[in-house]
Amino acid sequence: MKLEVRNLSKTFDTKEAVKDVSFAVEEGEFLSILGPSGCGKTTLLRMLIGLIRPTAGSVWKDGVDITDAAPSKRNMGFVFQNYALFENMTVLKNVEYALRIRKDDRQTARDTALALIEKMGLTEYQNAKPYSLSGGQQQRVAIARTLALMPDTILFDEPMSALDVATRLALRKELKQIQKEFHTTMIYITHDQEEAFAMSDKILVMDTAVAVQLDTPENIIRHPANDYVRSFVVDNLKIKIDSLSKYIGVANG
Amino acid sequence: MGSAGTSRIRTARRALLNQRNLSKLFLGAILFVIIVVPIVRMILYVDSATVRSVFRSDSFYSSLWNSLSSTTVATVISIVLGYALAWAINKTNIKCKYLFTILITLPMLIPSISHGMGLIILFGNNGVLTRLFHSSASIYGFWGVVLGSVLYSFPVAFIMIADILKYEDQTPYEAADVLGIPKRRQFTSITLPYIRKPMISVLFAIFTMIVTDYGVTLSIGGKFKTLPVLLYEDAVGQLNYSTGSVIGIVLLLPALIAFLFDLFNKDRGNSAFVTKEYKKHSARNDAIGYAVVGVTSVLVLAILSSFIMQAFAKSYPTNMSLTFEHFANTFSKNGGKYLLNSVVIAAATAVIGVAIGCSTAYLTARMKSRFSRFLHLTAIVSLAVPGLVLGLAYVIVFKKSLVYGTIAILIMVNTVHFFASPYLMIYNAFGKMNENLEPVGEILGISRLRIIRDVILPQSKYTLLEMFSYFFVNSMMTISAVSFLATPSNKPLSLLINQFEAYNMMECAAVVALLILVMNLLMKGIIFIIKMIGASYADKKTV
Repeated sequence: MKLEVRNLSKTFDTKEAVKDVSFAVEEGEFLSILGPSGCGKTTLLRMLIGLIRPTAGSVWKDGVDITDAAPSKRNMGFVFQNYALFENMTVLKNVEYALRIRKDDRQTARDTALALIEKMGLTEYQNAKPYSLSGGQQQRVAIARTLALMPDTILFDEPMSALDVATRLALRKELKQIQKEFHTTMIYITHDQEEAFAMSDKILVMDTAVAVQLDTPENIIRHPANDYVRSFVVDNLKIKIDSLSKYIGVANG
Repeated sequence: MGSAGTSRIRTARRALLNQRNLSKLFLGAILFVIIVVPIVRMILYVDSATVRSVFRSDSFYSSLWNSLSSTTVATVISIVLGYALAWAINKTNIKCKYLFTILITLPMLIPSISHGMGLIILFGNNGVLTRLFHSSASIYGFWGVVLGSVLYSFPVAFIMIADILKYEDQTPYEAADVLGIPKRRQFTSITLPYIRKPMISVLFAIFTMIVTDYGVTLSIGGKFKTLPVLLYEDAVGQLNYSTGSVIGIVLLLPALIAFLFDLFNKDRGNSAFVTKEYKKHSARNDAIGYAVVGVTSVLVLAILSSFIMQAFAKSYPTNMSLTFEHFANTFSKNGGKYLLNSVVIAAATAVIGVAIGCSTAYLTARMKSRFSRFLHLTAIVSLAVPGLVLGLAYVIVFKKSLVYGTIAILIMVNTVHFFASPYLMIYNAFGKMNENLEPVGEILGISRLRIIRDVILPQSKYTLLEMFSYFFVNSMMTISAVSFLATPSNKPLSLLINQFEAYNMMECAAVVALLILVMNLLMKGIIFIIKMIGASYADKKTV
């Protein structure tokens, strides 16, 4: 599975949200799209899944143009920042809902859902309603709901921005595990440099509406494409590391 | 799958007249035809000769003055009382708040005309309290109208103000306490700025509600006539629609001003973020709170029990032996048939109102486009049309049509009359729900209709119940719009009060008021029980 984006643009009225962005993701890769808020990351991601129609350009999957395909026909999953769970359904119902409507008989749907719930460590909450769960647990339900249809690619729209640091660190690990276990391609949006560097095989750095650099984390640090990447990515990371090492240094000394 | 070039053209063509915009235009057009067109038709009905004759008549000016003076006094009392009650319920720690809230909102469940009647039973020439105190002061006229109007409107003022106070943040007061700012100063510099705009909305709403009501004045005004009574007598009594229309246009003005004021002042208090609710304990405040809700509850119960006694006593207040002859009498005068009419009208209005309200709100709140604003405005514009004016407009437009004289036209006029408030309830409920639910469906391959059925509607079930109850209760008790459109065959129960009063059959009128109260209490009770069952069921499932 290879996902390819060719010259994708989106203009809202007069505002150019995404301008001529091209990149490719290989099968099983973890790609982060890193940029400040308002730079067009979410618009880009929504064009990949088909929720927003691009003004120009195309999206290709395994050599097929899927630019105009319905979101549900792309075999891709999407995890929203604010979870968007079905509040009136239990955790189990949330996960099995699409399966029951789309393909499986009741028993198969239930078995698949239960297995996923167990994998996400939510078995004891399977009959709970989402509002009684913590933010991290809710996001796990959202991920399980997405995995139920076995997509080959999952898109994440800043899924951790509402979570506390400890939960973020735990979820990071889980995402990497899921990626390996289900062999899914992941495209992950974040404005957090550290998060992007901790998880990604490749990072696409975005400035306002445009893609600036696509490379491995290592190469971005070593050879930032321009001053913007140097200051937004490299310098910011350095500041974080410096302030941390200062404290660690004090503690050690 | 087409190439990138042709797909762009498809997208462009899709943009303007796609399905969602078409359905919005369609619904908007329907609402426009049944709400705005009749009003315009009524305005066009007026000719300059009638305008001149109305504005030259003395009765117009005396009624205008009566309307303005009694409404102003009643509005002030109503709002002061409403504020005191809202304060007692929200800002003190009195017990039994729930019970008191039910008690003081009971007057909302009966027609305005019966409030005048209750006052007559208590304070009229032959009234209980008049006899008890050998009072010679007359309740008929100005003060009777004021008191009746207060009874009719204060629960609404209470609910609106309670809604404002409930969402008021307490942290500024705590900060002020820490800084040692005196209480009076806290009121002028924290409370007042917060409540000013919403209170003006309440003021307009209550003023409009009172100034356009004819029921209270008709029953207790005597020779004291107000504009709505003039309109009622002209249009319902003498079928003089053109004179009525002139008065109707005058009565349209306050509601229109109120509507425009609300439209341009969107920053209502209830959008504020409450970081802290009231917790302070003050024995003095609690005592005042008990006094306010206590006195009001006694007053409400006095009025309501006067109906009960009037309805059940052989000849109240001289012969108090229990009898059902007034009930028998009422039912022999077609009371049963009209009760059935009322229930059918109320239930049908509720079902149709909820259905149209939901569809409209879904289009305006969750499928936003350039037509959403147009549809939203059409949906709430009925707020600017008093029931009396709507009824007159409807009779002018539909008098010669097939629906006139059927139950259908009463259902239609009630749906329009009461549409805005329940529409706004569900509009807010839909708007607050996560905006990505339909996109989730799109990605998972679940159609929009399935998501609406399985997720959106189940999540708003309590709002749907509230909407249903609002349409039902108001359709049961209304005497405004329907009075122009009712004929002997489709008449609703509430209008029997007018009829019985005209014949001075107070016992039967009391029976009718009681029947309406019981029906509405039943409806409220059923809704309450459904909610309780739903809540306990949800609790069980979560654990």
